[in-house]
Amino acid sequence: MTKEELIDKLKGIVKPYVKNEEGFNNLNENTDFLNDLKINSANLVDVILDIETEFDIIIDNVSMEKMLTVKAAMEIINTKLAEK
Amino acid sequence: MTGNDIVDINVAAAESNWKRKGFLQKIFTPQEQQYISNAALPDDMVWKLWTMKESAYKVYTRQHGGRFFAPLKFSCTVMTEKTGIVEYGHDHYQTDTISAKKYIYSIASLKGFTNTKLLSYCFYLPQMEYTKQQQFIYEKIVAGYNAITGVKKEDPAIVKDKNGIPFLHCSNNVRVPISITHHGNFAAFTIN
Repeated sequence: MTKEELIDKLKGIVKPYVKNEEGFNNLNENTDFLNDLKINSANLVDVILDIETEFDIIIDNVSMEKMLTVKAAMEIINTKLAEK
Repeated sequence: MTGNDIVDINVAAAESNWKRKGFLQKIFTPQEQQYISNAALPDDMVWKLWTMKESAYKVYTRQHGGRFFAPLKFSCTVMTEKTGIVEYGHDHYQTDTISAKKYIYSIASLKGFTNTKLLSYCFYLPQMEYTKQQQFIYEKIVAGYNAITGVKKEDPAIVKDKNGIPFLHCSNNVRVPISITHHGNFAAFTIN
């Protein structure tokens, strides 16, 4: 999966929880889920569960701690996919 | 040092399905899951525990800096209907929770430090675009600050440090710690 494909998949996952459309339209690797997209922190759990389902991976608690940005999510997804 | 967190119950019901598979296990300890399953109003218990964790997290980051998402590590013990203790590693926080009909609001402070907050105020937040909401909240905070200090003309700015922790920056160069929270139609702040 290319970087662009991964970002596109993440865009689809976070879309229902986004509160700041401008941040969503400018979504890139450096986007912060909470600060830039204004996703409610309780919905961050939904994002994590949706990522688990979409990629068929398990995000452990240590990885979850870092799941605040698109970049971190991409790194975690790639690591977990490589472990499969 | 205080931290606060509010949940709009109607918005939470519409936007969060805590009954979905895996949700509770990701954020709540076995004991907390027990509180939820034993509660007369499980929804209220979910959001009460959530606001306890979030408010304690805000105190923690104020003390130690950093940003992370580890709700499971903030372990809650319900003491009374209103009060609780949140443990994170060696740190203990005490919480006060208001469970109203339409919102649940918690304030956390370091255990043993009472009366550190000067003001806590919770209010209705009308629906409007994000920047206007931010302005609305800002005006409430300034009004609150002016009311407790007796200063009439000062317009302190809200500044955030590199970790996103807010302060009121006053004209005499004093930085007053504040904690701000909003969700749906409710917002609240504390001034320390």
